[in-house]
Amino acid sequence: MSGVLLRVAALRAEAGGRRLVDDVSFTLAAGRVLALVGMSGSGKTTIGRALLGEAGPGVRLTGRVEVAGRPVDPAHPPPAGTVGYVPQQPSAVLNPVRRVGTVLHEIARRHLPPGGTWRERRDRPRRAVREALRRVALPTDRDLLRRFPHQLSGGQQQRLVVAHALLAGAHLLVADEPTTGQDNLTRRDVAAELSALAGAGMAVLLLSHDLHLVRAVADEMLVLHRGRRVEAGPTAEVFAAPRHEWTRRLLAAPPADARPGTASCLTEDRPGTPSRLAHDRPGTPSRLAHDRHTAPSRLAHERPGTPPCLTDDRPGTPERPSLLAVADLVAEHTGGGRRRTVLTGVGLTLAAGECLALVGRSGSGKTTLARCVAGLHRPRAGTVRLAGRPLATTLDRRDRADLAAVQYVFQDARASFDPGRPVLDQVARPAVRLGGRSVGAAREAARAVLDRVGLAGHLVTRDPGRLSGGELHRAALARALLAGPRVLICDEITAGLDAVTRDRILTLVDELRRADGLALLVISHDREVVARLADRVAVLHDGRVVEDGPAATMLTAARHSLSRSLLHDAAQGARQPHPHGDVSPTPATARRPAPDQHRRTPMCGPTSTGKSQLE
Amino acid sequence: MSLPRYATGRLLLGLGQVVGVATLVFVLTEALPGDAAVVIAGDQPDPERIAAVRTALELDRPAWQRYLDWLADLLRGDLGVSLVSGRPVADVLTANAGPTVLLAVLTLLLLVPLAVGVGMLAARREGGRLDRALSATVVGLYAIPEFALAVLLVALFGVHLGWFPPTAVGTGGNLLAQPAVLVLPLVVLLARPVCSLSRLTRAGMIEAAGSAYVAHARRLGVPGHRLWLGHALPNALAPVVQQLARTTDWLLGGVIVVEAVFVVPGLGTALVDAVTARDVPTIQGLCVLVAVVTVTVNLAADLVAFRLAPAAPVAR
Repeated sequence: MSGVLLRVAALRAEAGGRRLVDDVSFTLAAGRVLALVGMSGSGKTTIGRALLGEAGPGVRLTGRVEVAGRPVDPAHPPPAGTVGYVPQQPSAVLNPVRRVGTVLHEIARRHLPPGGTWRERRDRPRRAVREALRRVALPTDRDLLRRFPHQLSGGQQQRLVVAHALLAGAHLLVADEPTTGQDNLTRRDVAAELSALAGAGMAVLLLSHDLHLVRAVADEMLVLHRGRRVEAGPTAEVFAAPRHEWTRRLLAAPPADARPGTASCLTEDRPGTPSRLAHDRPGTPSRLAHDRHTAPSRLAHERPGTPPCLTDDRPGTPERPSLLAVADLVAEHTGGGRRRTVLTGVGLTLAAGECLALVGRSGSGKTTLARCVAGLHRPRAGTVRLAGRPLATTLDRRDRADLAAVQYVFQDARASFDPGRPVLDQVARPAVRLGGRSVGAAREAARAVLDRVGLAGHLVTRDPGRLSGGELHRAALARALLAGPRVLICDEITAGLDAVTRDRILTLVDELRRADGLALLVISHDREVVARLADRVAVLHDGRVVEDGPAATMLTAARHSLSRSLLHDAAQGARQPHPHGDVSPTPATARRPAPDQHRRTPMCGPTSTGKSQLE
Repeated sequence: MSLPRYATGRLLLGLGQVVGVATLVFVLTEALPGDAAVVIAGDQPDPERIAAVRTALELDRPAWQRYLDWLADLLRGDLGVSLVSGRPVADVLTANAGPTVLLAVLTLLLLVPLAVGVGMLAARREGGRLDRALSATVVGLYAIPEFALAVLLVALFGVHLGWFPPTAVGTGGNLLAQPAVLVLPLVVLLARPVCSLSRLTRAGMIEAAGSAYVAHARRLGVPGHRLWLGHALPNALAPVVQQLARTTDWLLGGVIVVEAVFVVPGLGTALVDAVTARDVPTIQGLCVLVAVVTVTVNLAADLVAFRLAPAAPVAR
């Protein structure tokens, strides 16, 4: 390995008297992958941006950052292009108005040596662009270059941003949560891609909650807690023998160990879990929900024997009357002058206190289905019934009780908040609008619910811009709960959250549905979330349910190959022949004309325990 | 959706809109209370005049026949004959369109660089003294109605200082023969649109310059002027183009107040004259002309906006 490329010494970041990063030091050599792991708000992104010579508004950096021997601070950013940055939302850094190819060529021209004949000046950037696209496994044809960024899938956008970094000649790549919200198969691709970059001599700093990914690609890891480094070392060693309590807590529920039902027991037994949630349980669980909907709550309580920890007692589907019933739902997206059918006759039922997980690859129609239920998308045919009564197809025709009854927690929490108003006001709003409370009472209730999701008082009086992505996710959940819903739709609510916070959220949601009979519709790519929450799992593919069954069966013995590849335990996947061969073309690729079906590398998925693919 | 496909769809829609306006114009004349000829002929009509109007408008034929003829004539570019001068309406409009189009084109040529430049400069110095000065000036200009500004300019530069001719009287419609007459009308026509367009540019530039994609391009070594012009500006321009369409429309319709104050024989003057004289064929012709201009200009603006905001849902 060559010498140290990145050296961070005694890095501190302060904002308004709060320490975001406190005395963090590490080094990173070319060709190595270092993972920064920690809860949301632990300072990972602040460190990542400090390496780019950037600091958020009001953030003061001290300490020393050296990239390739050259000191970096906000006044002296690293030479353009040497540090590549792949943000959590790659679409945000792609100019919506400019074609993919134009921008790639501009970057290439900027970073190629000047001079040469006219022909060379024309051809060299083209070759460089093709080479960069090839390295990130994007098609190199004209069709891709002519597109606008919004015409690419999320995975392609991310690879395009990496291609930008490659063209600019980056030595160091900072990847912020590259697997957030991606399905299992895409996550394997990301892992393979990062490993390949490191293999080609780039230093990669990975900021991630995704322990699968960290385990699969990182040579070393550094655990952060409230801006402090609590533990660091080779990944395998840290995973095998975590020394610090926080590390143990973060690693406590490694996905491979999460069997259905067991996790919530672990949470409560685990000493010192900051489980205000668990302690507050008797009494608090939303009185709102109680007095609004006594009927479903009674249903939930009458359920025979619901000790929260027994897997086998998970309710089967029959007997209980369904609270939510979707029948023969057909939905289309119009755009580009033509219609595309997204759902073709989907039906599902959900009882009070039950949790149904919708899984499927991106583009399979999960979110559209959820949006139809919530009244955000008008289906072409089919019905959505709540407690036997049909719900209006659009929001404006639903009355307040119906609006309150179906609540939606969106995947992009930041986009679901008005950036200009304090979080507390926005969280309290549903209680005023839908619950008819006074503003004061609503704020009081909002504070209580925010406290339950683990957001402290001083944080929630700020504008959303001052909260981290994970914190906003929790605020969005609190806002939905404050409406007193009977059906809660959770669209990737734990994407981008660290293990501890995720655990907390999952425990809370699980409690609510058990205590108040909340019906949960969960969309998740995360097997662990499905294993923790779901009673039943429905697998969507190309707008239809290809398989549907009790969670326990689906997670271990699904029949359909797609269900297996999406749901089965990673370790199991490694033992069994990999199901890639029989995965039919995904809707995402079938829909897009460009060949996106690049190599899938089963070896490099989170399945591999060692780092074999790194060498 | 591809651009040609979108353009075709919008073009068909535009044609439909023009036919709709033409129909509406015809129906309105039909809907005049009582005997249209009596109404049109004036306050103290003599029988001969009424008879002449009736013949000219062919009021003795059934309405549907006249409607079909009206559409067929429109297709051939025949807008009928003026009741006042007896000249073909098309000729009247062509003669009056000259000065209006000249003023509109010159205004637009000055307006676009000026407004976008002012907006970008203000955005560059956001919150600074220059930004505040520019903003105060353009908003102040916007607050003055055209007639007040026109009268003020005529009084100051036309009469008191005598730098520019106060009116276009004597040019006979050929304004280019004496370019100095253009100066004051141009200033008045520029005063208001500069404000709306520069404010939109400023807001769009500030938003785009603070965006993640501009920061990303900066990290990749794209130099300052390219960031500003190549990466931020295209994103800021989509709303500006839509507003520019409104402005163009307003200018090509003939700004009545400006033409009246400066005595420019343009379309606005023609409209005022036609309405005063109840010259129905000319009014109808003007309505159709304005409709065609509006539809065309907005079509062009939508096509440009389609390219400038490719990810946005398109206007249909």
